[in-house]
Order: sequence, then C-alpha cells, then structure tokens
Amino acid sequence: MSQQAAESSPRQPILIHDPTLRDGHHAVRHQLGRDQLRAYAAAADAARVPVVEVGHGNGLGASSLQAGRALLSDEAMLSVVRDALTTTKLGVFMLPGWGTTESIRLAVSYDVDLVRIGTHCTESDLAERHLGLLRDAGVDAHGVLLMSHMASPERLAEECARLVEFGATGVGILDSSGHYLPQDVSTRIAAIRSAVSVPVIFHGHNNLGMAVANSIAAAEAGATILDACARGFGAGAGNTQLEVLVPVLERLGYDTGIDLYRLLDAADIAARELMPAPPTIDSIGVVSGLAGVFSGFKNRVLDVAAREGVDPRDVFFELGRLQAVAGQEDLIEDVALALRAGSTGQRERTASHV
Amino acid sequence: MNSERRLSVGVLGAGLIGVDLAVKVERSAALDLRLVAGRTADSPGLKRAARLGLPVASRGLSSLADLDEPLDVVFDATNAGSHAEHAETLTPLGTLLIDLTPSRIGRMVVPTVNGAEVAAHRDLNMVSCGGQASVPIVRAITRAHRIDYVEVVATAATLSVGRGTRLNLDEYVETTQDALREFTGVGDVKAILNVSPARPPATFRVAMSLIGEGLTHESVHPLVASAAADVRAFATGYTVTSCIVNDNKAFIAVEVTSAGDQIPAYAGNLDIINSAAIRVAERCAVERRPIEAMEVVS
Repeated sequence: MSQQAAESSPRQPILIHDPTLRDGHHAVRHQLGRDQLRAYAAAADAARVPVVEVGHGNGLGASSLQAGRALLSDEAMLSVVRDALTTTKLGVFMLPGWGTTESIRLAVSYDVDLVRIGTHCTESDLAERHLGLLRDAGVDAHGVLLMSHMASPERLAEECARLVEFGATGVGILDSSGHYLPQDVSTRIAAIRSAVSVPVIFHGHNNLGMAVANSIAAAEAGATILDACARGFGAGAGNTQLEVLVPVLERLGYDTGIDLYRLLDAADIAARELMPAPPTIDSIGVVSGLAGVFSGFKNRVLDVAAREGVDPRDVFFELGRLQAVAGQEDLIEDVALALRAGSTGQRERTASHV
Repeated sequence: MNSERRLSVGVLGAGLIGVDLAVKVERSAALDLRLVAGRTADSPGLKRAARLGLPVASRGLSSLADLDEPLDVVFDATNAGSHAEHAETLTPLGTLLIDLTPSRIGRMVVPTVNGAEVAAHRDLNMVSCGGQASVPIVRAITRAHRIDYVEVVATAATLSVGRGTRLNLDEYVETTQDALREFTGVGDVKAILNVSPARPPATFRVAMSLIGEGLTHESVHPLVASAAADVRAFATGYTVTSCIVNDNKAFIAVEVTSAGDQIPAYAGNLDIINSAAIRVAERCAVERRPIEAMEVVS
C-alpha cells in the first residue's frame, strides 16, 4: 500500500481472507443474487484482496430452514464468482454434517483454490475425512474451529495440531459469537502458534466492538491469516471491518499487498449493492456477544421472540446458558416457548442441557 | 420361553454402541449373548465389556465367523465401510445381520413403522440415530398431509459421538435422507447433524420441520403425540419438547434421554438406535418360533 508509510518496523506479511460473500449472507437471510456477487467479487479482485470466500452463510450444502434458505444454489454462486475473479483466489467453507464430500467435489469441479472445513471448537476430527480428501486432491485446505471461546487455549492448540495432521495447510479459530477481548485472542493464538508450523488464522466478530483490536492482537501473537468483511458485512453486529483492518495493519508494519483506494471502492460497492444498511452493534449484538451465542441466530430469534411475545435479549441469554452452538437454531423455538410459559427452561431442559 | 428358543447373538464392534448393545442383549429374555467381538484386545470398550462379565473376543469378524455353531443374529456396530464384508461372511452361515452403521446396504427398519417386515430380510439396517428419532413422527404427518419438504436436524453431545460416527458423517446425512424419502414418499428432504461441545453435555435432540399446505395444530398435534407414544414403548426417554404449526409449516422437536445401561442420560442418540435394534431382534425371535415349530412337525 503506497498511500502512507508504515509507522512501525516491518513485520510478517498478513494474508487477508475475505468472507464478505459468505458470512455476509447471514445478514441478508442468504439472499444475495448473481449481480451482487459479481459486483463485489470483481471489486475485491481489483483491490488485490488475496482470497474471496463465497457461499451460504453456513457454507456448502447449508441452505435449509434451520439456517435460512439461499436464493442461489452452491453451483450458481461458485460459477458467478469464479468468472468474476482474475488473480484473487476463490474460497469456500463447509461444515461436516451440513455439507458432505459431494459438496466438496462440486466445489472442486469449479476450480476453487481453497476449501475451509469448520467444526465446533473441540470437534476437529469431524474434519478428518474431508481434509484428507482435499489433501489427496491437491486443494489448499484450511481447518477452522467455530465457537472457539468455549474451549481453553491448550485444547484449541491440540485440536489445531490434529487439523494439521489431517492435512490442513492453515488452521485457526473463529470468534463466532464476538465474545473475545484482545487478551483472550493473544493467549489462544500464541498457544496454537506453538503447536503448529502452518499459518494461523483468526476470524473476528464485532459484537463488543473488539473485532479490529482482536485481529491486531492475533497478528501480534503470530497469526498470519486474518478474516475481514467489507463494511463488516456479517451476522448480527458484523465481522471485522476489512477496509479498516487493512490500513491499520499497514500502519503497524504488516504488509497485506492490498490497494487501499481500490479496497475502499470495493467496500463502497458492498455498502451500496449488498446490504440495506451496514451492520451495527445494536442491543441484540451486545447481548449475543456477552452471552457467547452465535450472531447468526439474530434473525430467527427476532422472528420467534416477536411471535411468542418474549424479550429477544432473554432468549439470547438463555441460549448462552444452554451453550447453544452455531447450527442449533432449532433450540430458539423451545427457549422462546419456555420463556413465554415463565419457566425459562428451569425444569426438565435445565436438567438435560446445563 | 425356555432358553433353547432364545436367539443366539453376537455383537461386532466394542465402541460406544457395541458395549451398550451387549448389555441390552444380556437383559433381553429373547436373546442369548454369545460374544462381543472387537478388533484389539486392549481397546477400552472390549476391556469394559470383559469387566462387565460379558464374553469377549478380539479377532473381530473371524471371532464370530469361526464359532462352531453359527449365530442367529449379529449386530454390526462397526462402521459403514466394513458392513458389506461382514454381511458377505456371515449371511451364508444363516446369520441375520442387524446393522447399526449407516451403510445403506440392508433393508432399512424403523420398528414402529415397518417392524412387521423384518422376517422377510436377512440384512436389516437401523438407519441412524436421527432417523430412528424422526421417521416415526415425520411419517405420521406425511400419511395425513401432502408435504413438500422435510428437514431433520439432530444435535448430539460430543462425548456421545464415537470414532465410527465421526468418520461416517457423510453416510449419516445420506442414510438419514434416504430413510426420510423411503418412509415418507417426500422427495425433497434434508438431514443435518451437529456435534455439540457443551459441558455439561447437551441431551440428544432432533428437530423436524415440514412444509405443506393445510398443516394445522389440530391435525398435527395428535399425530405427533401418538407416534411418540409408540416410540416410547421401547425408548422410554423419548420426549416431544416443541410442536408448533404456523404458516403451512410444522416444527417438532424431540429430546431423547438414555435409559441408563452403559450410556449416560444425555446420550439418547446411542440409546434410541440400540433400543430399536433390540426391538427388531426380539421381533425376529417371535417370528422365528412358529417356523421352527412347523419344521419340527413336518
């Protein structure tokens, strides 16, 4: 980036991974159309963003009543974005149990450059087969741990080491609930760094206003792949804001290879074309971050809370108490019913979940 | 019933499923446990089975195939990729296979739905934990309503998901979807599996969503209650926690706790598929008796 000189001495280069067209889908009920995907992908490509990730918010094969039905098929999304990219790499995301090997084969048939396999924080071995398949196919494959605030730094390091054994070429953690403070991130990234020799990934959410600071903490602890989305486009309070993170990294002496003006243009295009309004940290965002619940639950919580006449904030705190993880949106219904009945699940469900 | 008429039973696989299954076989008046066969003598499961006083062997399939007297029934509690070989070896010996892996090879059985069919097949498949928990309810609704789409989301606790299941997630999804199509006639179906890291562990839970014109609370509720009562006859921890119908959509959630035995209360996923498998074997025992009696007469 030529617009300004680094204020600090050079540090390790950072590879920016941009899931605007995947995680952003959570904010618009997975309804992005072809023109929207094409416009943003081309703009990110022009800015030399290294990787653009596309898909349903929960990845390949995830279009469902549970997480929301996508406007476009996986094929359509892959096809449009593949055609829009020249030098930027095409990435996809998949959660085993949601997508299958068949979904991966489909993505590989569209020449994806990078496949990320996600599992909940202690479940890395669910990715064993899929990472092995990708290794055999010669496709770059990341292993990432969701809801990572639920596990200790040591456990996350162990899980990441296993992901590397399975074939991951990059490993790391997602702050799916936007729950971390910078110190939480530093200790976790440092633990992972000491357990693996492949690049370490951090993916932030902004529920507590910490996404950029957390990403910088990750870089300082040795992470070299950082996720960020244009305008922070993502579930609930949104993700790390791409066009803020990149210049902050550059000021600190981390090279990203991204063109600032083109990046700002891409972010403006995202703001204009992809979203009715940029993500903001509203009451629900704060509460879901505090409660440690996946922000992607927001729309369904609001729908169900309105239907049942209960406070959506109570729903989030109760989901947090039950340790609901991303993918368990069905629990929202039971929690809202219990709140309406005035029991807040303190009877039978408490015994079973907590 | 005297002991000669009990079916002789082997359990292949000494993981989470296999050991609990063996304990349930021991308790059944219709079944006679002859052997639990694992692959390694020092596996934790096989050691646990031995400590429980169960007959164990460590040479896997050959431990069962080499018995002097072929077994009436073998439960396959290994993994989907191995079942074909197990069936190929054991079926010629006259052994009935009850497969707990999501192999999609044998005839799929859900006891309250097609339990009457079991006598006609030599290789029975127990679908999946999510299939056993959802098919009875989904089937009851689809028999009474025209349904366009069915979705089944299961969540199991991390400690209740063993190595075999972890390697067979794709097979879980595909087999559960096959069973939903087969037993409901609905073409557009989706199955999802979450593994929850929550501590203390989350109770096994299955959420079903159906889309169809004309679904009403008045029609759906009794169908769900009746189907659930049928399942509870053999899986006592099967409970409906939500049943919500609006906008041509039905949402039903069940939670399944284990009846105890060798698995903790939250691991209803293991309990429901094992209880269903035992139910099937007991049904085979009942159906076989008159045939043997006739043979004696002739």
